[in-house]
Amino acid sequence: MKKLFAIIMAVVLAMCLGSAALAAEKPVVGLVMKSLANEFFKTMEEGARKFAADDGTFELIPVGMNSETDIDTQISAMENFITQKVNLIVLAPADSVGLVPSVKKAVDAGILVVNFDVTLDKQALADSGLPQDFLFVGPDNEEGSYLVGKFLGDKLGKDASVIIIEGNPGADNAKQRKAGFDKAVAECGLNLLASNTAHWETEEANTVMTNLLTRFPDVKGVMCANDSMALGVVRAIEAAGKSGQIEVVGFDNIGACQELIKEGKMLATVDQFGPEMAANAIKVGFRILNGESIAGWEKTPVEVVSKENLK
Amino acid sequence: MNTKRIAYLLLNEAGIGCILALLCILFSYSVPNFASKPNISNIFTQISINTVIAVGMTFVILLGGIDLSVGSMLALCTILAGFTITNKELPVGAAITLAVLVSMLTGMACGLFNGFVCEQWKIHSFVVTLGMQNIARGAALKFSDSRTIFSFPAEFNSFGLISYFDVPVIFIMAITLVLVGHFILVKTIFGRMIYAIGNNEEAVRLSGHNPRIYKIAAFMICGATVGVAAILYMLRLNMASPILGNGFELSAIAAVVIGGTSMSGGKGSMIGTLFGAAIIGVLNNGLLLMGYSDFTRQIATGAIIIAAVILDTYRAKLLRMLSS
Repeated sequence: MKKLFAIIMAVVLAMCLGSAALAAEKPVVGLVMKSLANEFFKTMEEGARKFAADDGTFELIPVGMNSETDIDTQISAMENFITQKVNLIVLAPADSVGLVPSVKKAVDAGILVVNFDVTLDKQALADSGLPQDFLFVGPDNEEGSYLVGKFLGDKLGKDASVIIIEGNPGADNAKQRKAGFDKAVAECGLNLLASNTAHWETEEANTVMTNLLTRFPDVKGVMCANDSMALGVVRAIEAAGKSGQIEVVGFDNIGACQELIKEGKMLATVDQFGPEMAANAIKVGFRILNGESIAGWEKTPVEVVSKENLK
Repeated sequence: MNTKRIAYLLLNEAGIGCILALLCILFSYSVPNFASKPNISNIFTQISINTVIAVGMTFVILLGGIDLSVGSMLALCTILAGFTITNKELPVGAAITLAVLVSMLTGMACGLFNGFVCEQWKIHSFVVTLGMQNIARGAALKFSDSRTIFSFPAEFNSFGLISYFDVPVIFIMAITLVLVGHFILVKTIFGRMIYAIGNNEEAVRLSGHNPRIYKIAAFMICGATVGVAAILYMLRLNMASPILGNGFELSAIAAVVIGGTSMSGGKGSMIGTLFGAAIIGVLNNGLLLMGYSDFTRQIATGAIIIAAVILDTYRAKLLRMLSS
C-alpha cells in the first residue's frame, strides 16, 4: 500500500514538473470541449489538434467530457487549468450559466478565456461582475437555422404545412435553432403543424415523425434541429412510402446526411464548419494576447449545404 | 373455483392486458387515426426494439438482478455489426449473416462478463452492470472513433421496411423472441429453475442445484437479446452510432415492471413484459396524436411506471389471499 502511494506521488510530481517545464517554453492553451462522444465535437477537437501541430508555437491540452450534460468535468478541467496557470483557456460551455463562476475564477487569476460554440449567459455574466459583451467566437445558430428554414420555405411555397423537430429542451443551441426556424416559418408564410422535441436522437426522431405523419398526413416539409434527428425523420418518411413527397432539412452537415442529400432524400443542411471552430477561437485568443482588443461576438460562417453546392 | 381461476388470471397477465385494451379503446375514441392500420403498424415498429431488450431483461429481473448496461451494449453491438456489414471485401449475404452473429456474440460476451463477475465475487448486478455500461459505451466510442456508420447494403435496408399484412418484419422478429422467451420460462426446466432461484435461492442450493450457472446464463440471454435488438435498430434506422441507446435500460426495466414482474424476483411473465412494452408505446403514440406536449408525455410515462408498482403491491396481497 505504501509502495503504491509512493509511486502515485512520484507520477503526480513528475507530471507537475513536466507541465511547469512546458509552460516555460511555449504558451499553453487549455481547450475545454463538450462531449467527444459527439461526432461534431470529435472533429472539432481533431481540427484543433491539427492546427496546434501545424502551428507549433503553442502547447494544446484538450479536455472532453463523457456526455453533453456532464458539467462537473468541465468545471474540474477549468480548475486544473487555473492551477496550472495556462496562458489561454478556450471554452465550449456545456451549461451557459453553470460555467460562469469558473470563467470568473480564471479571469481573476489573470488567464484569458475565450468562449466559443455556445454563448455564456448574459445575465449570469453580469451577476458575477464580468462584461456582458464577453468575447464569444462562434456561429449564429439562429441565422443558420433561419437560412435553411428559408431554403425549405422557398422550395415549398407559401402556406405549405411544416413540422419542426427540436433539440433538447433547455439547451441554448436548441432554443436558438428553434427561433431561426420560427422566423423562417413566419417569413415564408408556412403553416406550422407541430413542433416536438426528439432530444437530438435518431431513434426518438423516427418515432416522433412516424406518429406525426399519422396525425398530419399532408405535411410537406420538416425542419430538424440537427442531422442525427434528420436521419430518423428521413427513414420515417421512407417507411411511410412518402419518399419524395416531403422535404427535410437538418443542421450540422454530417457525412450520413450528405449521402441523403446526394440521393435526393434530404433537401439541405447547415454547415457551421465545426472542425475549424475551436482553431478559430484559439486564433482569436492569440490576437488578444498579442495586444489586439476584441470583445463581443466574433461570428464564424454558416452555410446552407444542398445538392447544388455539395461536392 | 371458476371465479377464483378468473380472479387469478386477472391478477396476472390478463389484468395488464385489460389495461392495455382499455388504453387502446380510449385512444380509438378520442384520436381519429389511432385505430388505423398504418398507425397500428407504426406502434408495432416503435415497440419492437424495447420489447426485445425487455425479453432479456425479464430473465435477469426474475432472478432479482438488474442490467443497466443494455443501452451501451446496444451501441457497441451496432458498431461492431456496422463495421462487419459495411465490409466491402465480403459478399453481401455473408456480411449480413456475419453482422448478426457478431452482434449476438458481442452481447453474449458482455452478458457473460456481467454474470461471471456478479457470481464470482457476489457483487450486486446493479454495480457490475453500471461498470459495464461505461465499458461498453467507451468501447463503442473507441472502436468507432465516435463516428456514425452508415451506407449499409441496400438489401439489408429494404428488408427493414418489409411488412406482411401490415405487420412489420421487425415486429414479427420481436414477437418470435417473446414467444421463445415465454416457452423457455414456462415449458423448460431452465425456466422453472429461474423462478425457483428468484423465489428462494438458498432452497435451490440446498436441493443440490447450482444457481450460479443459471444466473450467468440469464445475463448471457439478456446480452443475446440486446444483440438482436441491435440488428433491429440497424434495420429500422440504417445506421450504427456509438451514442445511441441512452436510457434504453430504463425503458426496458419499465416495460418489465409495468408487465407485472417483481423487482425482487421470482414473479412475472414474458407475456406481461410484452404488454408492458406495448402500454408504453401506445401511451406515447396516443398522447402525441392527441397533441399533448413532450413534457406531458414524459410525466404520463413516469406516472404509469409508479402506478404499476403500486398496483403490484396490492396484487401480491390479493394473490396471497386467494391462495390461502
